[in-house]
Amino acid sequence: MKNQTFGYYGQEVGDRHEYLTLAFSPLSAPLRSRWRNNGLSADFLGDYVTTFLPADGSTADPVGGKMEIKHAVTYIANELLENAMKYHEHSVDIPIGIHLELTGTQITVSATNGISEGQAQRYQTFVETILREDPGELLLRQLEESSRDKASTKSCLGLLTIVNDYGARLGWRFEAHPTYPAIMTVTTSAVLPLTNLSGVSA
Amino acid sequence: MKTIKGESFEIQMEDDNSTVVFRGALRLSGTEDYAPILDLLKSTLAGPARPIVLDLTALDFLNSSGITMFSRFVIEARDQAGINLQILASESIHWHARSLKNLQRLMPALIIRLT
Repeated sequence: MKNQTFGYYGQEVGDRHEYLTLAFSPLSAPLRSRWRNNGLSADFLGDYVTTFLPADGSTADPVGGKMEIKHAVTYIANELLENAMKYHEHSVDIPIGIHLELTGTQITVSATNGISEGQAQRYQTFVETILREDPGELLLRQLEESSRDKASTKSCLGLLTIVNDYGARLGWRFEAHPTYPAIMTVTTSAVLPLTNLSGVSA
Repeated sequence: MKTIKGESFEIQMEDDNSTVVFRGALRLSGTEDYAPILDLLKSTLAGPARPIVLDLTALDFLNSSGITMFSRFVIEARDQAGINLQILASESIHWHARSLKNLQRLMPALIIRLT
C-alpha cells in the first residue's frame, strides 16, 4: 500500500511551537497492564498542556478555560492511545507514540502505531466514512448499532466523540514501514482550535 | 447495597434499587469489562416504576467505551414503556455538558439535571 494522507493533517498554524512525545514499546507488557498506562499518560498530557497556557490574561474565565483544555486533551489523548494499543500490530517491534504539540492557535494530539495492511484497509474505509458524513449523525447511528450488536467493540466511536463533542479536526497519515514490508504505520491526529474552547487563547 | 469497585472508580446501587451513584474515573477497555456495570444498570429496569436516577456528579472521567455502555442502557430504557430516567450531572465536570447530550438525543424523554 502506498503512503496516504487523509483529512486535516499536518496543517501547522501559528509560529510558537512547544511539544512533547511519549513512546512505548508494546512488547514489554501485556495489554491489561498497559491499559493503566493509557490513563496515566493521558492525565500527564492534560496536566502538562496547562503549563504552556498563560497563567492569567485578558480572558473572562482563565481557570475554567484552562481546566476545559486540560480535560479535552486528557480525553483525546486517552482515546487515541486506547485505539493505538487496541489496533497495534504486535508481531513487530514498532513503538507506539503519543505526541502533543502547541502553537499560538491550536493544540494537536496525535498517536502512532503499527498496523497490518488488512487493518490499514479497514481503517481507511472508516476514515472515508467519517470524512464524508455528518459526525453527529454518524455517532448516533453507531451508538444505536452498538446497542444491537452485543459483540461490537470496533466502531471507532472514540474518534467520533472527539469530533462531535470536542470540535477537533481529525487527520491521518498512513506510511509503509521501511523495515517491515507487510506493515504500515498510521498516525491519527486531532487538532483542537483554541478558539473552540471557552474563553481561552494561548 | 450493591457495589462495583475498581482501582479508579466506585459504583453503588442504593437499597431502593433505582439509584446508582458513580464516582471516580471509568476507563475500562471495552464491552466485556463494562458488562457487570451494564448488568447492574439493567437490573433497575426490572423494578417497579419509579424514577431511575444515575448520579454522575462525582464521575470525573468516562472513556468512549463507557459512553457506549451508558448508550446501551439508555436505548434499552427508551425501548421499554413508561421508564422515567434521570441523570444528575455537574457543570464543573467538563465532559458532562459535552457528551451527555448525545444520550438525550437517543432518548428525548431522558431528564438531565445539571447542577
